[in-house]
Amino acid sequence: MTAGPAPEAPLLEVRGLVKHFPAGGGGLFAADTGTVRAVDGVSFRLGRGETLALVGESGCGKTTLARTVALLYAPTAGSVRFQGRELTGLGRRDLKPARRRIQMIFQDPYSSLNPRLPVGAIIAEPLVIHGLGGRAERRDRVATLARQVGLGAADMDRYPHQFSGGQRQRIAIARALAVEPSLVIADEPVSALDVSIQSQVLNLMRDLQAAHGLAYLFISHDLAVVRHFADRVAVMYLGRIVEEAPADALFANPRHPYTRALIAAQPVVGRGKRRPGDVLRGDIPSPLRPPPGCAFHPRCPLAQDICRQSAPALEAAGGEAGHRAACHFKDEAAP
Amino acid sequence: MTRFLATRVAQSVIVLALMSFAIYALIGLMPGDPIDLMISADPKMTPEDAARLRELYGVDKPVVERYANWLMAALGGDLGYSRLYAAPVLDVLLPALGNTLILLGLTLVLSLAIGLPAGVVAALRPYSRTDYAINLFAFAGISVPAFWLGLLLIIVFAVILGVLPAGGTETVGGAGFWDQAKYLVLPVANLTLASVGGHTRYMRAAMMETLRQDYIRTARAKGAGRARVVLGHALRNAMIPVVTIIALQFGYLFSGALITETIFAYPGMGKLIFDSIMGNDFNLALVALLFATLVTLIGNLLADVTYAWLDPRITYR
Amino acid sequence: MSTATHSQGMFGLALRRFRRHRLALGSAAALVALAVLAVAAPLVEAALGVDSSVVDLFNRFAPATAAHPLGTDELGRDVLVRLLYGGRVSLLVGLVTALVAAVIGTIVGLIAGFYGGRVDGLLMRFTDGVIALPLLPLLIVLAALDLEKVGLPAAFVQSENVSLYRIIAIVALVGWTTVARLVRGAALTLREADFVLAAHAQGAGALRIMAVHILPNLVSPIIVATTLSVGSVILLESVLSFLGLGIQPPIPSWGNLLTNAQELIWTAPALAFYPGILIFVTVIAFNFLGDGLQDALDPKAMEGR
Repeated sequence: MTAGPAPEAPLLEVRGLVKHFPAGGGGLFAADTGTVRAVDGVSFRLGRGETLALVGESGCGKTTLARTVALLYAPTAGSVRFQGRELTGLGRRDLKPARRRIQMIFQDPYSSLNPRLPVGAIIAEPLVIHGLGGRAERRDRVATLARQVGLGAADMDRYPHQFSGGQRQRIAIARALAVEPSLVIADEPVSALDVSIQSQVLNLMRDLQAAHGLAYLFISHDLAVVRHFADRVAVMYLGRIVEEAPADALFANPRHPYTRALIAAQPVVGRGKRRPGDVLRGDIPSPLRPPPGCAFHPRCPLAQDICRQSAPALEAAGGEAGHRAACHFKDEAAP
Repeated sequence: MTRFLATRVAQSVIVLALMSFAIYALIGLMPGDPIDLMISADPKMTPEDAARLRELYGVDKPVVERYANWLMAALGGDLGYSRLYAAPVLDVLLPALGNTLILLGLTLVLSLAIGLPAGVVAALRPYSRTDYAINLFAFAGISVPAFWLGLLLIIVFAVILGVLPAGGTETVGGAGFWDQAKYLVLPVANLTLASVGGHTRYMRAAMMETLRQDYIRTARAKGAGRARVVLGHALRNAMIPVVTIIALQFGYLFSGALITETIFAYPGMGKLIFDSIMGNDFNLALVALLFATLVTLIGNLLADVTYAWLDPRITYR
Repeated sequence: MSTATHSQGMFGLALRRFRRHRLALGSAAALVALAVLAVAAPLVEAALGVDSSVVDLFNRFAPATAAHPLGTDELGRDVLVRLLYGGRVSLLVGLVTALVAAVIGTIVGLIAGFYGGRVDGLLMRFTDGVIALPLLPLLIVLAALDLEKVGLPAAFVQSENVSLYRIIAIVALVGWTTVARLVRGAALTLREADFVLAAHAQGAGALRIMAVHILPNLVSPIIVATTLSVGSVILLESVLSFLGLGIQPPIPSWGNLLTNAQELIWTAPALAFYPGILIFVTVIAFNFLGDGLQDALDPKAMEGR
């Protein structure tokens, strides 16, 4: 490759990514009622073999961000560079080589597998779509993949409904690995599973990461999972990243009041699960009409006049390399 | 609202224009052509005469050109001459249209008066004996071949009982309102029986859907009386889809009218269309088909307007 | 819940719900019986020792006897056997037409539902337009067309079965709308399913996604809609044949058996009864069957009643 990427270029670089949806049913008579700002200016980088977790409450735009990065949705603005190559604006054919290297795992293993296809065909599908290997080679590859994720050869002729949720997620992982990706976007891959199964699947994902040098963009609302799984963590609120840091630094020294609230809301043994809303005042504002200034100010215990007027930028905070936060009071001691 | 109306009217005009060309082209593909018919009717005609007539009528020109000529004449008020009735097309058409509108109007009123209450009653007690019975009749109504039902009515009321006439519009010489009314009973009954089942099923489905909605449950929970909930809240909302479907069925009613009118020898549009096609009366068939399409389109337009009027959520732009 | 029993449960539930529809079950039985009888028409003919193609003017309008269980018609032919032969044609034409219509409807509905947006709007407006047209008058025009003028070879136009092909073609041309609407609705839901997104994320083409991921999951709505449209297709066929524009004698069909009967209602009203009741029973049976299948296969109806 002559015009190859610079050696220090990250695997994935997202800059100023915006995804807006028109609101309303879009019916014949529906009036234009506004725009949902699902993703509103997000930038991050992801290196080879690295795991970046995106956390936030449901409705904060995590899933939309994941799908826009995977080019399932055409971005409204911004750039997605993968292995140094710009992906936005490419047609289906031009995107295909990148699509092979970027794979997805979905949250609900019941709806992410076609109920009418046998498991072997599901795992082999990426090979077929990308035209890799002959019939026999594909069968061998599927058998290898099945073994890697802990499924038997006999399972390949069965249908998805004959498997448990954890097994189905293993099938989805095998499908993602079939075409040797370098980036896997996992959208809440374990949140639909029983807790006892969650760690099995997470361990599998970690083993495969080591074996194949995968990078993960790992979407989750569960901080306990993220803490053990991710190298770096980005916290999202109303379509923006409000804090980003190496996992240890984020949990040891959170600089954004929203991050602190999320950490405080983590379930404690014996007391059950609490939602961030129990710690924070009020509900998430509508992404149709985000509040002016800092979007978090209506719920923030630290909010001052400045927060209502100007939106803070995502800037270095906490003293550690790679730790950034978007808060006017990021450098003050936690209350 | 004006703009919404204007758009829909414009759409209807476009559909009508497209249909007129399609029908014109199709009729040109029917067996025989007008000149052949004239030749067979007049043994003294020579091949030269025929050629001159072909030239005059433009039979050998491409269909688009012939259509354009016909359209210009039609827009100028000249809809042509009916071969079968030996009269201007419009003179044949208007009385027939009047007869059909009487038939369809009576049928619509009657079948709605029966079908809508039946659907509401069925929906209020779903899966009860009453619902079961109403459903059975509704299914029978949509499944019965209308022409056969017409034959049965004639057999029972005209042949066996002899109480009603088998066809026509009035007794020869014995004119009068009641005499004419007697001739309408069987055709209206036929068409009503064939369309009431559909109305019942639509009403039942829409009402059940509405009763399942949250706001109805809320109204009930707040202690609003059953009748009040049903009539005040549910019915209006349930009517929205029903009105649309019924108005969309206008074309279907026209099909029914064709069958009924043919069987009962009732001189309406349906019978006229059938007779003109079978009798190679091209001018009449063309205009009659277009009239049927026009009436159907007006029905659809009314449906849209009523829908917009009933549904407060729609905004006009 | 273990998933093995989960799936059996789904299937079992569907079966149980279907069984509960006694009407649908009875309808299925009645249709099978009718079809078997129609197929076995020559055997019935032989068993009765009659020949339905032979005209016997000395034996016109005969009352029911052992040899002629339903009597004879205006040409002295056995009514029962003629009805069974007519049933062969009517049922076959009904099924074939419904299948052709289902193919057209599936293609239209699939494309509208898969692409959504403008394509969907356009196709559904077109579908609504077809539904709203005065269909029977237009069908009569189509049935009256001179096929040679349309450009079909003369040998085909003059063949004996051309009325069969013609009726199948023109009724299918207007009968696809039910299937199109149901398929479109189901496809609109499916296109948001994660496994369809997963295929998009792989870079799969539209054709592949429709053929591999959407179509196989549309089997239930297609079966339901096709069953429901068999009834309306048979009704259309019978009325056109009755008007003399459908299946042409000497091929018998329930519709054209009624054409003659209409002229004889004063002398032999019973002749007008039999073919009609068979059409009626067949159509209502297909409608009950479709309704029962819809209840049994529709996951929305699964939640308790």
